[in-house]
Amino acid sequence: MKQLSHRLQYAAVLLIACLVVGRCPAAAQSASDVAIVAHPDVPIDNLSLADLRKIFMGDRQFWSSNLRITLLIRAPVARERNVVLKTIYQMTEAQFRQYWISKVFRAEAASGPKIVYSNDMATELIGGIPGSIAFVDAAQVPPNVKVLKANGLLPGEKGYPLR
Amino acid sequence: MKNQWKWLGLLLLGMPLAGGAQGADPASQAELIQELLARVQKLESRVAELENQPKMQRPANGIVLASMESMSPAGATMESLQSGMQASGTASGQGTDAQPAYPSLKLAGFSDFNFSATDLKGSRSGFTEGQFILHLTSALSSKVNFLSELSATARSDAGTGSPPATGFNFEVERSIIRFEQSDHFKASFGRYHTPINWWNTAFHHGQWLQTSISRPEMTQFGGRLIPVHFVGGLVEGTVPLSGLNLNYNAGLGNGRGSVISRGGDAGDNNNNRAWLVNLFAKPDRLFGLVVGGSVYRDKITLASGREFREWITSGHIVWQKENPELIAEFANVNHQEAGRENTFNSQAYYVQVAYRLPWFENLWKPYYRFEYIHIPRSDAVFQGVPNLAGSVVGLRYDISSFAAIKAEYRNQRRLPGQPHGNAGFLQTSFTF
Repeated sequence: MKQLSHRLQYAAVLLIACLVVGRCPAAAQSASDVAIVAHPDVPIDNLSLADLRKIFMGDRQFWSSNLRITLLIRAPVARERNVVLKTIYQMTEAQFRQYWISKVFRAEAASGPKIVYSNDMATELIGGIPGSIAFVDAAQVPPNVKVLKANGLLPGEKGYPLR
Repeated sequence: MKNQWKWLGLLLLGMPLAGGAQGADPASQAELIQELLARVQKLESRVAELENQPKMQRPANGIVLASMESMSPAGATMESLQSGMQASGTASGQGTDAQPAYPSLKLAGFSDFNFSATDLKGSRSGFTEGQFILHLTSALSSKVNFLSELSATARSDAGTGSPPATGFNFEVERSIIRFEQSDHFKASFGRYHTPINWWNTAFHHGQWLQTSISRPEMTQFGGRLIPVHFVGGLVEGTVPLSGLNLNYNAGLGNGRGSVISRGGDAGDNNNNRAWLVNLFAKPDRLFGLVVGGSVYRDKITLASGREFREWITSGHIVWQKENPELIAEFANVNHQEAGRENTFNSQAYYVQVAYRLPWFENLWKPYYRFEYIHIPRSDAVFQGVPNLAGSVVGLRYDISSFAAIKAEYRNQRRLPGQPHGNAGFLQTSFTF
């Protein structure tokens, strides 16, 4: 009983410290990961980083012959967008824009990714657009959304590549 | 804002903790703390979310599903406008209606303005207006797309009168309807930039897209070395092939017209179709590398009636990143006159390197290109096509995300023994 009381005291102190400092260690861990979320009908549970790159570069445009991929990406400044640009595209913001203008001009894609302005908007649209895929803060993934593994790992797991 | 959330969190925390400390058992207290921790995390995430909101105003009426192109200066595209209207319905409580509308016309454009000065005889210095390009794309269904590229080119003889006044020459550069079955198979019909040369299909008429001011002479618009345009049908696709990502194009079309710099837009001038196969790989392990090659076969009927068989073989290797950027291409054009045994081989190649400097906000990009063209004097098809050995050195400055200023110096020699010509160019190119 005494040990439990100590633990509770530690938790309370930690909680107050978190509020004062403005960030909890656990929250920092989950907030640093970016989850790949997809419409429930997407017939894949795991994507390698190379697959993710092909999809978000527009080189792969179909999940299957009947299901086209719809890319959703956060508007500039969002951390999720920065993670995607750095990890997946390996491009700066300017290079990313030029890449998609060029891609459409070459007729290699009918349009660029759709822009979303918040994680809530991304997850809401993910539920409404068949074949859609997006990146959202792992701490804000609602329970009804399909989370895909990256290189066989889920957000929070050691070695997860999108953070 | 953040402080307000903290105080709110503290208040929420304080009330149950104060009450719980007196009456609840330790197990329920632990559960409560876990619940509160989760709540604090959620609030923190929300605060971070709000802080990360872009400065641009979020639409007041809820969700607007904009495409990448709407981030360009061209502003709202048809797609984003239509999506926006659908999203208004969303805001009125109908749920997220993000289904695409067809047709969804999108419009973009490219243009440029130039100044040149040269010491070549017969050339004058001055300003020139570059091509004015309109690019239209429209999804007609989830699997059918249409694309068109229109150009207006300033010419000294495009106007009316005698002598002809200056004016603009209008042209449909590309017009393609494509049916997309899957990533592995897409079929299209129309007028293309012939996919046997990387530069020709990477930059088209978008001057702003290419690093340099000038195109390599082997793929010059209006040039004769390779057929720049192709009218017919094309199948294309991608096969993963163990991470090699092999892409293919196979086409059948009209080939060159009697004026060999032009395609057979109004019909072929003989009964032999041209065909082409283009293969290139984009390996997973070397992200940024594109390497490939093409073959092209045609039968050319010149205005004089003489007929020639044409074989073009070409190859390219491209490193698409900018630190550094590398583009190298080679083409061999083989001609043989019908009923004769003599064959003529013309070769052309270029190597371009560029590097986006890591200083000054990555806005400066110096570049260098060497190019070479050799045409046998006795090749009747390429009579009048000049040889070339020359260098291009330049500097590109990206004045915004959608406009660039470029300065370029060219040093060229047409034949061994002839003097080198020098020329300087300035250009501003942009997309809109």
